[in-house]
Amino acid sequence: MLIQLAGSFAAVAVLVAVAAWAKIAKPMSPLSDARARALLADEFPGKTLDGLWIATDGRGALARSGASALVLCEVGDGYAARHIPWAQALSASFRDGVLRLDLADVAAPRARLAFDAWPPAGAR
Amino acid sequence: MDPLHAPFDPVTLAIPFFVLAIILEIALARFKAVKAHYETRDTMASLAMGLGSNVAGLITGGLAFAATVWVWKHRAFDIPMTAVWAWVAIFFLEDLTYYWFHRLSHERRFWWAAHVNHHSSQHYNLSTALRQTWTGGVAATWALWLPLAFLGFPPAMLAIQKGISLVYQFWIHTEAIRRMPRWFEAVFNTPSHHRVHHARNPRYLDSNYAGILIVWDKLFGTFQPELDEETPRYGIVKNLNNFNILRVAFHEWAGIAKDLAGARSPREVVGYLFGAPGWSPDGSRDTSATLKAQWEAEQAKRDAPDVAA
Ligand SMILES: [Zn+2]
Ligand SMILES: [Zn+2]
Repeated sequence: MLIQLAGSFAAVAVLVAVAAWAKIAKPMSPLSDARARALLADEFPGKTLDGLWIATDGRGALARSGASALVLCEVGDGYAARHIPWAQALSASFRDGVLRLDLADVAAPRARLAFDAWPPAGAR
Repeated sequence: MDPLHAPFDPVTLAIPFFVLAIILEIALARFKAVKAHYETRDTMASLAMGLGSNVAGLITGGLAFAATVWVWKHRAFDIPMTAVWAWVAIFFLEDLTYYWFHRLSHERRFWWAAHVNHHSSQHYNLSTALRQTWTGGVAATWALWLPLAFLGFPPAMLAIQKGISLVYQFWIHTEAIRRMPRWFEAVFNTPSHHRVHHARNPRYLDSNYAGILIVWDKLFGTFQPELDEETPRYGIVKNLNNFNILRVAFHEWAGIAKDLAGARSPREVVGYLFGAPGWSPDGSRDTSATLKAQWEAEQAKRDAPDVAA
């Protein structure tokens, strides 16, 4: 039993090492405006964007759609998205160029987006 | 043959094959011979789920096994493990049971909570196949196989056939194979059919629940072919935003607990537990049905853009 478990651990370690060696994750590049819009359209079909702000490091974006803030953030070689009330996004903590958003979801508790300033000009 | 204890476990026997196949898929993708993407932390999460699933099975498997044996002892018929017809029968009946187990696991939140982890990767590769549940025993879905024991199929036979089904479903978790021969696609679950099952595109949601035979989906109206114009995007409707394995294993259970704590009536308790995933009292959250409806409305708008003009 224990030998089997140890063997399984070793096999997992080998496979993870092989996966890391291969470097075959999806290619990621900083988000462009168009790419962010395409991703948000997939995540929130039918929502029109009243404003879109791309994180300075290109690893996320925040959009306003009516009373909602649509949050997009990088996770590995993919993205996760959530929406929260716009007012909450406006009043979220912003320090040292990082906006910290509480997404109120066990599966995605927080998002951190890099911005030069928050709220951005014209976002109020 | 001992009707209680299987002389071999198909899954254990297949583990070396699983490992070699994953290495082969990665190597072929590395040298650009096939399509496959592996993200290191995602791979680690998937494999750790597989490992943990076996450990969890040791803990919760005892009760399931005891229940199966008890039901089989009160069986309606004697089914010999050595008869060919019995194996043919269990092949079809087990696969039919799997279909309904899998459909329940997607359409009702309590069981989705146990199954969601298999779908929480944004990747679709052979390692995703091993991303197995830790909480299936708790969700008690094993009870769905009890009628087969009552019919008289020995517990060992059930265990072997369930193992065969799991091993079969390993190889279909790949983007390396585009399509199998037409006759094969018509009858069996394939990489193409199961890619659709793992996709979060609205039009692909809640389809292709098959284990080995895709014919059940065709029979019960849940079949959706993979379309060239709609590339699957993998994962769940609301993707996880980190690779924490405890979050992978338990996030939907935690979500249920949070919702139940805020429930204001028995109706809400039942809805949060046994409604469709995404059910909410005021309908403010998305379910597969609302997402599909939104998507269809968008399509209709796109197809008839000049009505107002
Ligand atoms: Zn599934
Ligand atoms: Zn699968």
